[in-house]
Amino acid sequence: MKFVIEQLSKSFENKQVLKNIGFTFEEGKIYGLLGRNGAGKTTLFNCLNRDLRADGGCFYLLDEEGTRRELSSEEIGYVLSTPTVPEFLTGREFLKFFIDINEKSIGDPRTIDEYFEYMSILPEDRDKLLKDYSHGMKNKMQMLINIIAKPKLLLLDEPLTSLDVVVAEEMKQLLRSFKQDRITIFSTHIMDLAVDLCDEIVLLNHGELERVEKTDRDSRLFKEKIIAALREESNE
Amino acid sequence: MNKTLRLSFSLKNTYRVNGFLYSLKQIPLLKRLLPQSLYRVTGLKIFANILSVFWEILSAFLGKLLYFAVMIYGAASLYDGLPEREVFLHLFLFLTLIGSFMNTGMFNPTKDKYYAMILLRMDARAYTLVNYGYLLVKTVIGFLPFTVLFGIDHGVPLWLCLMLPFSVIGMKLCAAAISLSRYTLKGKGYNENKFSRYMMGAVVLLLAAAYAPPAFGLVLPSAVPTVLFAASIPLGLLSLRYLINFRDYRAVNQELLAGLTNQMDASAGTQIIKKANEDKIAADASISSRRKGFEYLNELFIKRHRKILWSSSKKLSYAAAVVSAGVLLLLFLKPEVRSPVNMMVRTALPYFVFLMYAVNRGTLFTQALFMNCDHSLLTYSFYKRPAFILRLFRIRLREIMKINAVPALVIGGGLALILFASGGTEDLLTYPVLIVSILFLSLFFSIHYLTLYYLLQPYNAGTEVRSGTYRIIMTVTYLVCFYCMQLRLPVLMFGLMTIVFCLIYGVVACFLIYRLAPKTFRIRT
Repeated sequence: MKFVIEQLSKSFENKQVLKNIGFTFEEGKIYGLLGRNGAGKTTLFNCLNRDLRADGGCFYLLDEEGTRRELSSEEIGYVLSTPTVPEFLTGREFLKFFIDINEKSIGDPRTIDEYFEYMSILPEDRDKLLKDYSHGMKNKMQMLINIIAKPKLLLLDEPLTSLDVVVAEEMKQLLRSFKQDRITIFSTHIMDLAVDLCDEIVLLNHGELERVEKTDRDSRLFKEKIIAALREESNE
Repeated sequence: MNKTLRLSFSLKNTYRVNGFLYSLKQIPLLKRLLPQSLYRVTGLKIFANILSVFWEILSAFLGKLLYFAVMIYGAASLYDGLPEREVFLHLFLFLTLIGSFMNTGMFNPTKDKYYAMILLRMDARAYTLVNYGYLLVKTVIGFLPFTVLFGIDHGVPLWLCLMLPFSVIGMKLCAAAISLSRYTLKGKGYNENKFSRYMMGAVVLLLAAAYAPPAFGLVLPSAVPTVLFAASIPLGLLSLRYLINFRDYRAVNQELLAGLTNQMDASAGTQIIKKANEDKIAADASISSRRKGFEYLNELFIKRHRKILWSSSKKLSYAAAVVSAGVLLLLFLKPEVRSPVNMMVRTALPYFVFLMYAVNRGTLFTQALFMNCDHSLLTYSFYKRPAFILRLFRIRLREIMKINAVPALVIGGGLALILFASGGTEDLLTYPVLIVSILFLSLFFSIHYLTLYYLLQPYNAGTEVRSGTYRIIMTVTYLVCFYCMQLRLPVLMFGLMTIVFCLIYGVVACFLIYRLAPKTFRIRT
C-alpha cells in the first residue's frame, strides 16, 4: 500500500504555501517531515485531513494491485500538537463513546481498562473529567483515540515537543510498535527527534516536498546537510 | 519631551489608522477587493490619517458640548424659578468633582498606553507625564468655549467663566495626586473603570447632591463654588509638583494595564475564555448515562450543562407564568380593562415574533456546544463522517427545541387564557392557533440558530464570531423581527401564516443541512 500526493497546491491570498506537491509514501514507515517555522507543515496536514480545501491536486491510497481509492475520513488519524479533548467527558466516557460509534471499524475491541493500561493512564485518572487532565494525559487520550481505529494514515503534528521525557519516550515506543500496516507522517522541527524516530526524512521547504537520502544518517554531516538544504532554499 | 510627544502621537495614530483599515477588511464584500498589502497603500493611509486628526480635534469639543448641553443646560432648565447662576455653578461643581475621579485620563487603561509602555517599553514617567499634560491642555481648550458660552448665558461673570477650565484641571490634578499618594502609602493602584463599592457610593451621593437639592429649591450660594473653584487652582499646582516628582509610574501602569495584557495576548485571552467555559461543566460525579453512542454523548452534555441550558429557560417560564397570572388577576378585578386587553391580544401576535426572538436561548446553546464539545471533537476525523454529523444534528435539534418549547408553551397558554378571560373571540380556532403559532415561533428560532451553526460554524477557538456572513444574517434576523412589530394583523391570519412559514423553513433548513453540513461543519482556522 502506498499513499500518493499529486500536484497538491494551496495559497493564502497571494502567498503560495504549497506548490504542486507530489510525493509517494510507503507502508510501514515513519516519515519525519522537517521544515522551518511557517513552512506549511500544518497547512499540508490540514489539507490531507480535509480541514482545509486545497486549491488543486489530489491524494489517494494505492494498493498492491495498483488500484487507487480515496481515503475515507475514518482512515486518517490526526494528532495535533495541542491536544484537544471534549472537556465535559471523563476519560472513560470519551473512550466508551468512541468505541460505541466505531464498533464496526474496530476489529478486535479490548476492554476500556485494557486500553488505559496500554497507554499507562492510571486507574485513579480514568474517571476524571478531561478538563482536569494534565497536558501529557490529554495527549495520551488523543493519541489513544487516534490509534484504536487503526487508521491507514496517521498524521502527527509536533506531537512530542511539549511532553515530559517519560511520556515522550512512551509515545516514541508506541509509534514504533504501531507503524506496521500504515503510513505515519510526523512533523517536527526538532531534528534529533526526526533522526531518532523516523525511517525517512522529508523536507518541506519553499512549498515543495523533498526526500533526503538517508546515507550515513547518524553522522553530523547528515544533520548539516539538512540544515544547509533548509537554509539555502529559503534564501532563494 | 518633544520626542516623547511626537512618538506617542504617531503611535496612537498608527494604531487608529490600522484599526480603521482592519475594520474595512472585516466587511465581507470589501474583504475580497482589498489586498493584503492594504496597510502599505499610501493614499488610504493619508485619508485615514486625516480622519484621525479630525477626530482628535472633534473629540476635544464634541464631548464637552454634549456634557454642557445635557448635564447642565438641559438639567438647569428643569429647575424653574431658581437663580440661573447659582444652579449653573452648583451643578458644575458637583459634576466636576465626579469627573475628576471618574475621568482622570491617567488611570484609564487604554490600548495605546499598553503598546507604548508595555510592548515598546517607552519610559513610563515621560510617557505618562507628556500625555497627561497634553490631556490637560486639550481639556482647557475643549472646555473654554462652552464655559464662556453657557456661563454667560446663565449670568456667570466673564472672569469666572475664563477661570473655570483651569479649575477643572486643578481638580483633576488633585485627584491624580491623591490616587498616586494612595498608591505610595497603601500600594493600591487606581483604575477609573473599576470602582470599589465606596467609590460607587460616593459617585451616587455626589450625583444626588448635584440634582436633588435644586428640585427642592435649594442651591449652594454662588460664593461657595466660586471659592472652591478658585482654591483648586493653587492646589492643582501643588499636585502638579507632586506628579512631576513621582517616580513609580512604571509600577502604577503595570498594575493598571495588567488586565489589558491578558486581553491583548491572544493565547492568554483564549485560555481565559476556555477556562470560563470549562467552569460551566458540572463536576457532579453522580452524573452518568445508560444510553449508547451519540445519545450517550448528548445526554452527558445536557446533564453536565443543565445549569446554563435549562436555568434561563426555567426562569423565563416562571416569569411568563407570573405575568400571565398578574394580567388575569387584573382582568378579574377591573372589568373595564377587559375590552382594551382583548383588542390588544387579538392584534399583538406580531409583537410576539420579537419577544420569542429575544427569549430564545439558541446562541447560548450553540456556543456551549462549540466551546465544550465540537471545538475539540471536530479535530477527530471519525466525528466528521457525514452520517455522524447528521445523526448528532437531529439529536441536538430535538434538545434545543425542548429547551425553548417550555417557555413558549407557557407564554402561548397564558396568552390564550388572557384572550379567553378578556372576553374571548367568536372563532374558537384562534385559541389553538395562538398556542401553536407561538410554539412554532420558538421552534423556528431553534432551527434557525442550529442551522446557522451547522452551515456557517461561525466561531473560532476563542468563541469569537469569525464569519461575516453569520453576523449579517443575525442582523437581518433582528431587523425582520423588529419590523414584525409594525405589523397589525388579526391573530388567526398571522398565526396561520407563522405556522406555514415555520414549517417551510424547517423543511428547507433540514434539506440544506443534509446537503451541505458535512462540508461546512468544520473548525475555522
